Amino acid sequence: MIPGKRRAAVMLLSAAIVGAMLMQPVRSQNEPSIAASENVLLTFEEGSSPGIVLQCNLTSSYSAHKENFWMKNGEEIPETRQDNKNMELKLDRPRADAAGVYVCVYTFDNAPPANATIEIKSVPVITGHKRSENKNEGQRAVLHCKSLGYPHPIWTWHKVDNGGFKDIDNSTGRFFINSRDNYTELHIVNLDINADPGVYACNATNVIGSNKETSVLRVRSHLAPLWPLLGVLAEIIILIVIIVVYEKRKKPEDLQDDDDLGGPV
Amino acid sequence: MRKPERPHEHCCCRATRQATGSRWKEVTSERIMSPAATDAAESKPPDGGWGWMVVVGAHISIGFAYSTPKALSIFFKEIQEDLGASSSEIAWISSIMLAVMYAGGPVSSVLVKRFGSRPIVIVGGLMCGVSMVTASFGRSIVYLYLSIGIIGGCGLCFNLNASLTIISKYFLSKRPLANGLAMAGSPVFLCFLAPLNQFLLGDFGWRGSLLILGGMMLNCCVAGALMRPVTLSCNPSAVAALKNMETTTKHNMSKKGRCLTNARQFLDFSFFKDRGFIIYLMGNTMYIFGAYAPIVFLSAYAVSQGVEEYSAAYLLSIMGFVDMFVRPGTGLIANSKWIRPRIQYFFGFAMIFNGACHLLCPMMTSYAFLVGYAVFFGVGFGMVFALIFECLMDLMGNQRFPSAVGLVTIIECFPMLLGPPTAGLLVDLYGDYKYLFYMCGAVIMSGGLFLIIMNILHYHMLEKEKAEHNGARRSPETGNQDGVSLSEAQREPTEAESAPMNRDPQDPSTDDTGPDITDHF
Repeated sequence: MIPGKRRAAVMLLSAAIVGAMLMQPVRSQNEPSIAASENVLLTFEEGSSPGIVLQCNLTSSYSAHKENFWMKNGEEIPETRQDNKNMELKLDRPRADAAGVYVCVYTFDNAPPANATIEIKSVPVITGHKRSENKNEGQRAVLHCKSLGYPHPIWTWHKVDNGGFKDIDNSTGRFFINSRDNYTELHIVNLDINADPGVYACNATNVIGSNKETSVLRVRSHLAPLWPLLGVLAEIIILIVIIVVYEKRKKPEDLQDDDDLGGPV
Repeated sequence: MRKPERPHEHCCCRATRQATGSRWKEVTSERIMSPAATDAAESKPPDGGWGWMVVVGAHISIGFAYSTPKALSIFFKEIQEDLGASSSEIAWISSIMLAVMYAGGPVSSVLVKRFGSRPIVIVGGLMCGVSMVTASFGRSIVYLYLSIGIIGGCGLCFNLNASLTIISKYFLSKRPLANGLAMAGSPVFLCFLAPLNQFLLGDFGWRGSLLILGGMMLNCCVAGALMRPVTLSCNPSAVAALKNMETTTKHNMSKKGRCLTNARQFLDFSFFKDRGFIIYLMGNTMYIFGAYAPIVFLSAYAVSQGVEEYSAAYLLSIMGFVDMFVRPGTGLIANSKWIRPRIQYFFGFAMIFNGACHLLCPMMTSYAFLVGYAVFFGVGFGMVFALIFECLMDLMGNQRFPSAVGLVTIIECFPMLLGPPTAGLLVDLYGDYKYLFYMCGAVIMSGGLFLIIMNILHYHMLEKEKAEHNGARRSPETGNQDGVSLSEAQREPTEAESAPMNRDPQDPSTDDTGPDITDHF
C-alpha cells in the first residue's frame, strides 16, 4: 500500500469513530420527568370537603426550566405562573365545578414544554334547569338542563308518569334532543294539549354516577281565557241592567216633581 | 257655515244659568232635580245624593285611565320574547298610550261639551275594551302600537276628561273631597291590577291576559252608566230669551266668525288671556316634568345603594299604598273651611313638600331611610294629584273646565314625555342617581314657589281690579260664601264686569258666563 493512502484510511476511520462517539450523548438524553399527584374523586358529603391539593414536581430535566403554570380544561389558570420546580394547586372547598382535567406545564429555555395530567372526577351535578314552563298549545317548548362535573355525562330524557320514568314516545316526531358536553335541550314542537303536559326529567350519567332533575310542562289551551272573559262580560251586563232599571224607575217620579215646581228667578 | 244646534237644546225647561258666587242667591229657591231629591235648601249643583255614585263611577274610570299604562308593563317581557322586539320598541307602547291619552284632551273636551259625560265614558270604555281584545291577536309590534297605544289611549282620554267634567257638574262645596276620592282610583287600581296581571300572565299567557283585561275595561261602561246627567229645573222665560239671543247673534255672525268659532272649539286660545290659568299651567308643567322620573328610577337607585331587587320593588308598592289613603285625606282637608279659600296656596305647598322630599332623597342610603322616603313621596305625590284638577276647576269654573282641562293635558304631554328621558340622560352622563333627584326636586320646588308667589300677586291684582269696578258701579256683595274658594268668589264679579269687554261680540262661544245647556242625553 502507498503510505499516503494508508494514512488517509486511518484518519477516516478515527473520524468515523469520534463521530459515532460524539453522537452517543444525544441519543442517551432523557425526557424530563415529572412526579404528579394521583387522580382525585370528588365527593359531596356534608362536612367532608376539606380541600384538594394537586402537586407536580420536576424530578429531572436536561435543560434549565424557565417557568411553569397550571391549566384547567385546556385553558391556563391565571396567576399560577411561577418558577419553583415543585408546584402546587390548592382548591378550598371544591364544588362540582372544580372537576375537570388539570395539566401542570413546565416550559424550558431550549426545549419543548413538558406536562403531566391530573384528573378530578365527580358525579354530574345538574345546576341550570327550569322548574316549570308554561306555553300555549301549538307553540314550541324548550326544556334544558346544565351540569357541572367531569367526565361529561351522557344525557337522557324521560317523562315521569305516575311516579315511574318512561321513555319519551316520539312516534309523532315532535321531540328533538340536542346534547353537548354538559348541556342538553329537549325541544317539543307543536305542543299537544292532551299528550304533552306533565313532568319531564333530564338524567345525566357518567362513570362515577348519575343525577336527574325534573321540570313541569304546562300547556295552555287557546280557549282557556274565554271562560273568565264571559264571566266578566256577564257581570258588566248585569250591573248595567241594574243601573238602567233603577234610573228608569226613578225617572217618572222626577218628571212629576218637576211639574210641581217652577222656580221663580 | 252655521254652527249646528246642539240636540239637547231643544229640551225645554232644562236650562238655567250656571251659577257661582253671588248668583247662588238667585237660584237657591229653585228645586234641583237630582234623583235622590232632598228638600229645597239645596243649591245647585247637587253636592251629594246621586253625586256619590258618580264619584264611584269617576273613581273606576280615572283608575283605569292612570293605572293601565303602568300595569301593562308587566306583560312586556313576554311580548318581547314572542314578537321578537327590542326593549325600547316595547316601551313605546306605554309611551304612546300615555301621549295619546293626554294629547286627545281637546277633542275629548269638545265631545264632552256637545254630548255630555255619559256617552263619552261609555264610548271610551268600549274603545278600551276593543283595543285590548284586538291587541290579543297581534302579530307585530306596530299592530300593538295601533291597538293598545292609539285606540286604547283615545279610550282612556275620553274616560279621564269626561269623569273630571261630571264631578265639576255634580259638586261645588264638597268638590275637593269628591276630586280626592275620584283621583284615588289611580293608586287603588294600580295596586289591584299589578298582581292581577301577574297572575293572569302565568295562567293564560299575554294574549289571554289582554283578552280578559279588555273585558274588565268594559267596566268603564258601567262607570259611564252611573254618570247620570245633571238635570236642572227650568226657567222658561230665561230659556226663551236665551234662544232669541243666540239665533240673532248667529245670523249676525259673519262666515269668518263662524269658522273661527268652530276652530276655537278645539283649542280655545282665549284661555291664554287668563292670568290665573297661565300661572297654573306653568306651575303644573314644571311639576309634571319632574314628577315621573323618580318613580321610574326609584328601584334602580335603591339597588345601586345596595338594597336587593325584591325589596327595591317593594318601595314602589309602599308609595302606592300610601298614595291611596292620602288622596281622599287631602280632599277632606282641602274641603275644610280654612283651606278651601286658599286652595291654590295649598297646592303650591304640596308641590314644595314633594320637591323637598326629592332633594333629601340622595341622603337616604339605608333601606329604612328609603322606606321613609317612599312614604313621604307617596304623601307628596298624593297631595298634588288630589288637588291638581280641583285647582283647575276652582280657577276655571264649571263652564270653562272641560276645554281648560283638554288644553292643560295636551300641553302637559310634552313635559311628561320629556321628563324621564332627560333624567335618564343625567344618570348616564354623571353615572350617579343623586343628580336626577336634585334636578327633579329643584324643578318641582321652584314650580311650587312660583305658584305661591304668583298667586299672591294674582289675587292682589284681582282685589285691586274689583275695588276699581266696585268704585265705578255698585254690584252685589261677593263675600266668601259657603266655603267657596277665593278665586271663585273673585272670578264671578270680574267675569260679569269684564265679560262684555273681552268677549268678541260676534262670538258667543267664548261667553262662559252664558247659560249652561249641557248634559241632556
